[in-house]
Amino acid sequence: MIKNEIIYGTLFLLISILFFALTFQFPDITIALSPKVFPRFVSSCLFILSLALIFQGIKKQIQEKGELKKLEINKVFIIRFILLFVFAVIYMNILEFLGYVIATPLFIAISLIIFNEKRWYIIVLISILTTLVLYAIFRIVFRVPLPRFIFW
Amino acid sequence: MTGLIEGLAFVYQPLNLFFLLIGVCGGILVGALPGLSGSVGIILLIPFLYYMDPAMALLMMCGMFCGSMYGGSISAILISTPGTPSAAATILDGYPLAQKGQAGKAIGVATIASTAGGIISTLCMIFISPQLARFALKFGPEEYFALMIFGLTVIASVASKSLIKGLISGFLGLLIASVGIDELTGYARFSFNNPNLMTGFPMLSVLIGLFAFSQIFIELGNIGKKADLYKQKIKGVLPTWKEFKQLISVIIPASFLGTIIGIIPGTGGAIASFMAYNEAKRFSKNPETFGKGNLIGIAAPEAANNGTTGGAMIPLLTLGIPGDVITAVMLGPLMLIGVRPGPLLFTQNPLVINSLFVGFMTAQFLILILGFISVKVFPHVLKVPVSILFPIIMALCFLGAFSLNNSIYDMFIALIFGVIGYFMRKHGFEVAPMILGVILGPLAERELGKALIISHGNWFTLINSPIAIFFYVISIASVVYSMIRLKSMRKKNIE
Repeated sequence: MIKNEIIYGTLFLLISILFFALTFQFPDITIALSPKVFPRFVSSCLFILSLALIFQGIKKQIQEKGELKKLEINKVFIIRFILLFVFAVIYMNILEFLGYVIATPLFIAISLIIFNEKRWYIIVLISILTTLVLYAIFRIVFRVPLPRFIFW
Repeated sequence: MTGLIEGLAFVYQPLNLFFLLIGVCGGILVGALPGLSGSVGIILLIPFLYYMDPAMALLMMCGMFCGSMYGGSISAILISTPGTPSAAATILDGYPLAQKGQAGKAIGVATIASTAGGIISTLCMIFISPQLARFALKFGPEEYFALMIFGLTVIASVASKSLIKGLISGFLGLLIASVGIDELTGYARFSFNNPNLMTGFPMLSVLIGLFAFSQIFIELGNIGKKADLYKQKIKGVLPTWKEFKQLISVIIPASFLGTIIGIIPGTGGAIASFMAYNEAKRFSKNPETFGKGNLIGIAAPEAANNGTTGGAMIPLLTLGIPGDVITAVMLGPLMLIGVRPGPLLFTQNPLVINSLFVGFMTAQFLILILGFISVKVFPHVLKVPVSILFPIIMALCFLGAFSLNNSIYDMFIALIFGVIGYFMRKHGFEVAPMILGVILGPLAERELGKALIISHGNWFTLINSPIAIFFYVISIASVVYSMIRLKSMRKKNIE
């Protein structure tokens, strides 16, 4: 099992290199502070810190050699996580089309189910009530132009 | 003095008092519910704040801040789960007392101590911050730049369990902040001609994602775990007069300790409460009773952690550097409502400051009243099921992200940063330094740019000011200190 310090360290190392490389496209502007300076400084620091993190991870890996820990993967959790993410993305995409008042109770109902709420009357009640309260506060009191369907 | 009267007149308008009350109530609720903390509470307020008067919005946030600090003690006492990290020390004596059937008295003492701590720290805030602000008015861009560096390093090094991870988190925040149009030159960095990226990542969506959405994802993993409940009846709230006299002699020094810890950027309630607990134990005549339900063991940490509230506001208001995680989160919404913390606030917007002072003081009394009224309700509050709470929070967060710019792109950013925040928190990278990077990064760069313009591009101007050098030195000192601290902690763990 690779230590997560090594994984994250490598990831951040790559990010820092990417950002540093991108600064070469920036134009040279000489008034005061060139836009290159700040990102370059930050990504260099990130580069060094990521190296340190990887080093830490390698040290840990050597110390714990032999004791192979099995990674506990909670399958149900991963499914829930992905479902919630996917439905959130779907929600955002249908929001403009269906309108806030229709899309939101659907989304709340689905997330209640993902959060393992089993009583159907609670699901119906909470999803409708929450939407109505939020709609009343934001549309009617604060006048936020919420996405709407044809009629409201 | 006339300023404070002006503040009084503002706070005691019915509507404003009502918003303060909502803030305090909400704060106690989010504090008491495990999984929600003061920072999430502030984020849940964001969508509402946008439509309020700045002074009013600030009142509500302060209520939330103080309330959550107190609310954490309730779940700590009743079910041995700290509602907020600052309440962890309260468990040590609070939970044993609750087991003996004296939960009422434990909560009563926590309420009194919290209020006293809050009052003392508010007084300190009222006296210290105008002086500090007057001093900070002399700061130029060089000093500000040094101050930003100080704020970043301190929070990254103290708030995190691992120095490297904390710093990485902070620098990632700075990198995120550098996306978008550069204020000085107008060049759009890292944006690939994408109009959404040109304006940079919307700061508040990032905030909502990193703190609130990541928490929602974490809660997904807790489904099915049985929640603890407190089943005994609550009675007998007030301590006896003899106990009270004993307690007050601990509460006052603990409150001052909390205030001082609060002023130091990067510390916070958790550190203060444990320090106060240990000191109280050390000075006690019978330290062996600690941990078995000693009332002093509740009073000391509670006075200290509420003492940090006023203390943490001091650097935030006068220097624009947050004192702890919650005030760091407050910085974002403050800018949203047009309040730019810093010494100029005291001269340009005295009403905001004065109503904040009065509001902070009022919040402490509201805590006292609400605490005693609702003692019997608290065990029921903790019964709110996660399965209902978090979907509602998610809907509110989405609406909040949307309403800031009326854009679905902002909602998407919040969701993405929620996932990023989840993975970071899961693997020991705290998100607070990242937020600070996102918020302070552009400010630091602006000050640096200003300093360089004034000095015609001479970088030595940065070390020309003694105050700036002072900040650099203490930044380095804080990093070194936390390196030593972590090393000694590791040694202790091995032994």
